[in-house]
This record gives sequence, structure tokens and C-alpha cells, in this order.
Amino acid sequence: MAASAVIADMEWEESLLPPMPVPADLEADIRRQFGVVPGWLARVAPTPWLARAWAALVRNPVAHVPPALCDLVALVVSQDNSCRYCFGAQRAVLRLLGYREAYIARLERDFLVAELSDADQAALDFARRVSRADPRPSRPDRERLAAAGFSAPAVAELTFTAAATVFANRIATLLALPPEPLEKMVDRPLVRLLRPLIARRLRKQLRGPEPLPHPNDGPYAPVVTALDGSPAARVLRRAIDDAWASEVLPRRTKMLVFGVVARALGCARSEAESRVALEREGFAARDVDEILATLASPRLDAHEARLVPFARETVRYHRTVPVQRRMREVARGLEPAETLEAIGVVALANAVCRLSVLLDD
Amino acid sequence: MSWAAVLVALAALAVQAWRTRRTVTGLEQRLEAAHRELEGLQRAFERFAPAEVVEHVIAEGISARSEKKEITVLFADLKGFTELGEGLAPAELVTILNGYLARMSQAIVEHRGHVSKFLGDGILALFGALEANPWQTNDAIHAALAMRGALADYNATLLAAGRPALEMGVGVHRGPVVAGLIGSEGLMEYGVIGRTVNVASRVERLTRTHGVDILITEAARTALDGRFRLRPMPPAAVKGIASALATFAVEGFDAGGTAR
Repeated sequence: MAASAVIADMEWEESLLPPMPVPADLEADIRRQFGVVPGWLARVAPTPWLARAWAALVRNPVAHVPPALCDLVALVVSQDNSCRYCFGAQRAVLRLLGYREAYIARLERDFLVAELSDADQAALDFARRVSRADPRPSRPDRERLAAAGFSAPAVAELTFTAAATVFANRIATLLALPPEPLEKMVDRPLVRLLRPLIARRLRKQLRGPEPLPHPNDGPYAPVVTALDGSPAARVLRRAIDDAWASEVLPRRTKMLVFGVVARALGCARSEAESRVALEREGFAARDVDEILATLASPRLDAHEARLVPFARETVRYHRTVPVQRRMREVARGLEPAETLEAIGVVALANAVCRLSVLLDD
Repeated sequence: MSWAAVLVALAALAVQAWRTRRTVTGLEQRLEAAHRELEGLQRAFERFAPAEVVEHVIAEGISARSEKKEITVLFADLKGFTELGEGLAPAELVTILNGYLARMSQAIVEHRGHVSKFLGDGILALFGALEANPWQTNDAIHAALAMRGALADYNATLLAAGRPALEMGVGVHRGPVVAGLIGSEGLMEYGVIGRTVNVASRVERLTRTHGVDILITEAARTALDGRFRLRPMPPAAVKGIASALATFAVEGFDAGGTAR
């Protein structure tokens, strides 16, 4: 009852794109990772890299933080971003994992008064700071987590989990995904009866530490390196490389989006890397200056002229409906695959430029 | 003890348990309602102060916590409104003023500004104060141009209704301020203090001297998109500033032009 009250307060538009046919290999791949086929798959199917990145990023590829804490991070960040889809879906997952309704409701109300350890509360507070990025969490924030008992790799994985949730929130919000069917299933008698079995299938296991992926020479490699020792590094490397390899939108468009998001988030490193990459694509330094300062330039093509100013609007929004309506305007005239790739790149930029707080002093 | 006594005791326990459960459920519902109300208030307050400040107030109460930040300040005022008011009935005056303030506020909010306060017919708006905004000065000047357009529309409505047209001056300056909760125990608000606010106000006064409606300082111009059409004004002496102040009148924006 409490859940529906919180969700009912979240404003949401009609879905941006209709469900589309899912290639069999993609469906099998996602089913293997999730155990079920999530509702979002049919909405993002024309862009396989996006589907695979979403699945891999939110499956808690962690070796140093309990996956159960990552689940709570996903709930808190999704609520903070007012993402109706992710919040409802994550809530349903927690119910299936055996969390009591009253416990979840207390978490939603205020995790600082829920029955959580001081360390867990500190972790959730940090995750929310990563998501808000205003101001960006700094070294003292990470040191507070260390004092609460988190190792440096654990802090990196918590940051990754928050950034991965930001990624999912941006995709779900910009696509205005309809509620996940799982939400309705949770209270069905049969599902309640089988909950222990379902929970066993859904429960994520702590993975073993992993070395950095080789090669790690693609875009934003320092951010990937900051996850050294975590399976998250490989997942992030692949997500960025796959996004870059896709040819639906030109590479320079993706770099422009990253540059704008980096500037909006005060991420000097990612902005500098985007600048260098844009200059390699043929932009003069003064063109890049102009674009980042004004979000416009005669050098931008028609798609970029719409996407560049829009990228800024995806960084922080207090209400979801206005940004969903803006997305609809931006998507006008774009093919579904172009819309999806644009959303995917914007979401990835938001994640990477938040994750880069690990490199800040 | 007989079986009957045991049954009666069990029944009494069951009734008590049922009552307790009903009480707890009622309390939980009230708690949930209070939480939703608080959350609504929190979201509403985030329109007046940064989310972080609102959270801090909720968690730890009012404090003198403040920070220095660079923001863009827009100060708007109606020219000759006091004289205009002398010829109008109080209700008519307030209706005209409220119509003006509503339209100007909308133009400001639509360009990511925040109306800090109304000072009679004056408006103090801040850009980049509630959240980090690297494009704050562009936003402020776009807001000023939107205000110009909105006032033109409003004046058409006023003239059609046989009422006098309004004339506005807008001053924009960018610089450091101290932002925080300012006021007394009884009345407190999130606000900014510093020379930047005073300069924006002085620049607005200069619109009368130069006979223009939107004036910006050199500090604002430096951070501005080159597609804004600006006209330099002769430096003018203003109260509180040692040297003459250079300002630029904003004529318009060339959306299709180049920023250089």
C-alpha cells in the first residue's frame, strides 16, 4: 500500500517507443543474465549494445561490496532520480528477494532512520551524492566511507553501482518505459508461494576480483582503471567500446554529448578527453570552445544541433515529465535506432562523468 | 482452571491483539501520510533553496552554514511605477503588478533561473545559485530577452484594456556571492549577499541613464555566447564603485549566427 503511494506520486509520460521485435540471440543473452526477460528489452532491441550494456551494468558486477547493499543503492538512487520504472522494478525485486514491505517503506521514507548499520547508511548517502553530483563527492566523502569500513575497491564499486543506476534511470526515464510487469506479479499467491525459489534465482552472488581488461586503451580508460580489481571494470570497458563501435550515430556526436555532460557535471578530465577526441575528428579548438560554451555552432549537423543542448538537460532534472517531453521533441524525425543510441550515449556519459569522481582529489 | 476460562482468556488475548494491530496499522498510515506531506514540502522547498541545504535543515535544523559561489544576478525593476500607481486604484495597481510579476517569473524559471525575492515591483533573480550551471550567464540573458518579449505581450493586453503600458529595466552581473540561510529566527530565507548583487542593482538603475531596457556588465559579457547582439555603452559612474562602470545593452540574439 505504501509502495503504490510513493509510486503514484511519480509523474510519468506515455512510452516514447513501442515494443519492437527482439532478435533471438539477444533475448537468450539477456535471459541468461537476468533469469527472466525484462520488460525494457523489447523497447531497446534495435540497439543491441544498449540492451547488453544495461543488463551487464545493473547486474551488480562487484567483488568487494555485498550485492544486497548494491540492491539498496539501486533503490535509493532510482527514488532520488524519480525514475518510476527503475524504482518500481527494483522494489519488486527486493520484495521477491524477501524484503518485508514495511522495511522497504521505511527505506523509502528515510534510509537514515531505517534499520541499517552506520556503514550501510554511509554507503547509501554516498551513492546519492554521486547521483546528484551537486557538489561532486570529493576525497573527504570517500574518506568518510573508508572510516565506515569500506576498502578503496569497495568505494569504487559503490560509486560504480550508483553510476550504473544513473545510467538505467536515464534510459528508463527518457524512454518513459511502462511499469515492469514484475511489479504486478509480486503479490500473486503463486509467486508468493514460490518466492524462496525465485529469490534463489534472482539473488546475485559476489564475484571474484578481476584484473583490468586488456587492452584498456579505449575512450575514458582512466575511469575504467579506477575500477581496477573489480569485474565492473570489464563491464564498463565493454559498454563504452560497444557504444563507440556502433555506427548508428557518428562518433563525433557521441564525443560532443560526453563533452557537454562532462562540463555540466564539472568533470574536467572527461571534458579534456572529449576535447582531444573532437579535435582528432576535425574540430578546431575554438569550435569546441564555442560548442561547450554555447551548446550551439554552425559546425553541428542537424541531429547534433538538437542533441547537444538536450544532453545538458539530462544531467539534473527535478521533474521527469518536462525532460520526457523534451526527449519527445528531440526524437522527432529520428529513427528508433538513432533515438535509442542517442539515449544510450547520454546515459553512458552521465554514468562515466559521475564515476570519474574516483579520480578527483 | 476450566477450559471455559482458558477460552475466555484466549479470546481476550485475540481481541487485544486485533486492537493492537489496528492501532499499529492506523499509526503506520498516519506516519506514511506525514512522510508524504514532508516529502512534498521538501520538494517544494527545493524550488527556494538547493536540495543539499533543504536536507541539511531537515536533518540538523537551521544553521549559519553558507558558501561562496559564482553566480549570475538579474535585477529587474519597473520604471516610473510609483508615479503610475498614484493614478490607479489600489486593486487595479496590484492586479497589474501581479500580472507583470507572474509573467516575468515564468520567463526566469523557464531559463533555469530562480526568483530570490520580489522587492515591490523589483525582481531579484539568481542563475547558478540553486545548482551548478556552467551556462548560467547565457541562461540569464536569454531570460532577460524572454522578459522583454513577455512584457511586450503584456503591454498589448494592458493597452487593449485601457490601462497604461509598463516599462522595465534589467541589469545583469556575474560574480562571487555568499549564499546561505539569511534572516532572523522568525523569518529566514535562502539568499545571497555580496557586491555582485549590489552591482546588478546599480546596472539596472543605469538603464534609465542610457535609455535602454537590458544592460549587462563586462563580467557578464565575458561569459556570454557571442551570438548575443550587444552595444557598448559609455562608462558611467555608479554609487559604491570607484571607477566608471562599462556596460553593454543587449539588443537581441542571432540564433543562426556564430558565437565568435
